[in-house]
Amino acid sequence: MNAELGFPDAPRSELERTIEELVERATTVLRTQGRLRNLLKANRAVVEELDLKRVLRRIVEAAAELAQADYAALGVIAPDGHLEQFIHVGMPEDTVRLIGHLPEGHGLLGAVIERAEPIRLLHLGEDPRSVGFPAHHPAMDAFLGVPIRVREEVFGNLYLTNPRHGAFTDEDEELVVSLAATAGIAIDNARLFEEAQRRQRWSTALAEVTSGLLDGEADDVLPLIAERLAVVIDADLVTVAVPTSDPLTMRVAAARGTDADTLVGKEFAVAGALAGQAFQSGRPVAADERAAGVSAPWQPEVGPTVVMPLVVGGAPVGSLSVSRAPGAEPFASTELDMAAEFAAQTGLAIELTRARNDRQKLGLIDERSRIARDLHDNVIQRLFGTGLALQALAARNIETQDDVLEQVDAIDAAISEIRTAVFTLTTRRNGAELSLRHRLLDLIGEVSPGLGSAPRLTFAGPVDLHVRDEFADDVVAVVRELLANVRHASASAVEVEVALHEDRLSVTVTDDGVGIPDSVVRRSGTGNVEQRALRRGGRFSLSRRPSGGTEAAWVVPVSGGSDR
Amino acid sequence: MTRVFLVDDHEIVRRGISDLINAESDLEVVGESPTAAQALARIAATQPDVAVLDVRLPDGSGIDLCRSIRSAHPEVRCVMLTAYADDEASFAAVLAGAAGYVLKDIRGQKLVDGIRRVARGESLLPRATEEKVVQALRGGPGPATGAPELTLRERQVLDAIAEGLTNRQIGDRLGLAEKTVKNYVSGLFAKLGLERRTQAAVYGAQASRREIP
Repeated sequence: MNAELGFPDAPRSELERTIEELVERATTVLRTQGRLRNLLKANRAVVEELDLKRVLRRIVEAAAELAQADYAALGVIAPDGHLEQFIHVGMPEDTVRLIGHLPEGHGLLGAVIERAEPIRLLHLGEDPRSVGFPAHHPAMDAFLGVPIRVREEVFGNLYLTNPRHGAFTDEDEELVVSLAATAGIAIDNARLFEEAQRRQRWSTALAEVTSGLLDGEADDVLPLIAERLAVVIDADLVTVAVPTSDPLTMRVAAARGTDADTLVGKEFAVAGALAGQAFQSGRPVAADERAAGVSAPWQPEVGPTVVMPLVVGGAPVGSLSVSRAPGAEPFASTELDMAAEFAAQTGLAIELTRARNDRQKLGLIDERSRIARDLHDNVIQRLFGTGLALQALAARNIETQDDVLEQVDAIDAAISEIRTAVFTLTTRRNGAELSLRHRLLDLIGEVSPGLGSAPRLTFAGPVDLHVRDEFADDVVAVVRELLANVRHASASAVEVEVALHEDRLSVTVTDDGVGIPDSVVRRSGTGNVEQRALRRGGRFSLSRRPSGGTEAAWVVPVSGGSDR
Repeated sequence: MTRVFLVDDHEIVRRGISDLINAESDLEVVGESPTAAQALARIAATQPDVAVLDVRLPDGSGIDLCRSIRSAHPEVRCVMLTAYADDEASFAAVLAGAAGYVLKDIRGQKLVDGIRRVARGESLLPRATEEKVVQALRGGPGPATGAPELTLRERQVLDAIAEGLTNRQIGDRLGLAEKTVKNYVSGLFAKLGLERRTQAAVYGAQASRREIP
């Protein structure tokens, strides 16, 4: 550079500088344009996904690429301010393993959480808020932290370190802030989508429970409810408790999840239990951790728990408990809403099922009544009419008289049996005191399996009207004991007749067996029966029938009895 | 000669009974009817001594018919002939104001004997049985257990029936139309358990429904 040479072209050098500047600006513009294009690309990549987990990973990857950082991470903030998730790129797997644990949101990461504003540093080691790195952690220098907001709430932060160009620029910060805005929208979409899917799962579960209920196998509905609920609510334990005959106690009727098998059938006190509280109040009860002192020794340790009453037709019939493991995330309010809805719908489904069962029962009763009417109105009448005609025939034909009358006797026996059948079919007990005939019919039903064939039971005279209370108890006991004796006789046909004639009641049990062994007769086998007869001023006799088998006759007087 | 009228909807039954009765020298069937509706007019025309009625008829109950006959023709005595068992038949006979009942047993040979006794003015129903029926209807246990309690009116009607009053006499005593008395008797009849069973049974089914299905 020589002054006296007096270079005349100073303006030229001005020009050169200007041109250089222009070129530099053009390059910057081009580079910025390139970076904007990158931002667009990153935005598209982020919003393309709907699954929340994949959305978060895309955001981290896009941020790393956009800011040309070696390391990038996204920390999701839990309600308590700590990081509940930490999604990172750039760090090799084995290094991650060596460090052993993910950041929890202390130091500088915590500072971004607290400020909820971007933080940009040239050297993070020099910042007073830094708490240093754990062992095996790679060196990190320049730092950029940007919060991601979802609907005004800080969802988490993007953390970037070690840009390839040495330090993060204003432009880097702007770009990442812009990406974070898109990320917020993408996360919101993913959450909405997840919510919609969850609702879908709930309604599917509900539909399954409802159809399970309507399919019949009604006994299995509680396990089905527990199972479906366990699947949709993402719980570790679901139990259904129902009241017992003791109003102070409830019983676990169904359970799914941790230790479920050991819980079914266990009983617990209503007082103090969440299940009892929900059952009694008819309202849902929630606890982050189950209140201390409630746990019976058999109860597993549980964390957040919600109990909903199962209400059918306005009355609670049980309670549904949903629990997660100790220390697990509490149930989200949407999950609680859905669970309450599930409980309410299940109650409705049970109610519907009951109504349907009632209709079926009604149908059955109608059918039984119809059969009884048919037997009474048609079958007996025809038998009776035919019998009368046969009897008249017998009177005119002396030679065949005995044979015909034998047939007429058989018809009479059939009519008597049908009469008992009509009574069985038409009469229902309504919880009041059972009549003697009902009690004997029940007894026959009860002992028949041990006898090989059901004994034929017939009645004569108005026995229900005249035989009651202790007298009826005696008759039932006598029939029971006599049938127990028949068991030893290997009989194929047994007949029981309870008849009220004039002022005597007789119970006659006949069989076609080999006879009652003497050993039974000697033992108390018939002693009790005889005692019962003697106490009432009657008698008891046991005799061999000419045709084989045994006839046991218990006859006692009836005060003010029938004269028929 | 005792004149007998038969009401039964089965011809084979009427024929059999007619033969049975006509075979006796002192008895005679003077008329028959398969329905309650025809029975009243024919009985008025034939003036029998004894009417033999089935408890169930296609167009109503033999109990109602029996009470109508007793109201209109107190001199005609009635016997219920039934395929029901003794307990139900006892209730039916008492409510009907009949002189008694005979079961549809072929060999029992009780019908002919029963008609003769009734014609002589005897009752076939022992006093003790009659008392037990009234007792049971008043709310004691029996075939009607579980039935709703009787109303005051039903109770009054029942007492009058137990005294052997006809519907007309009951109406006069209680200041009710004969038709109203008839309705009360039908209500009592329902509590027998021989009619309108379905409703009573459903009532019971609902009361026992406590468990989750």
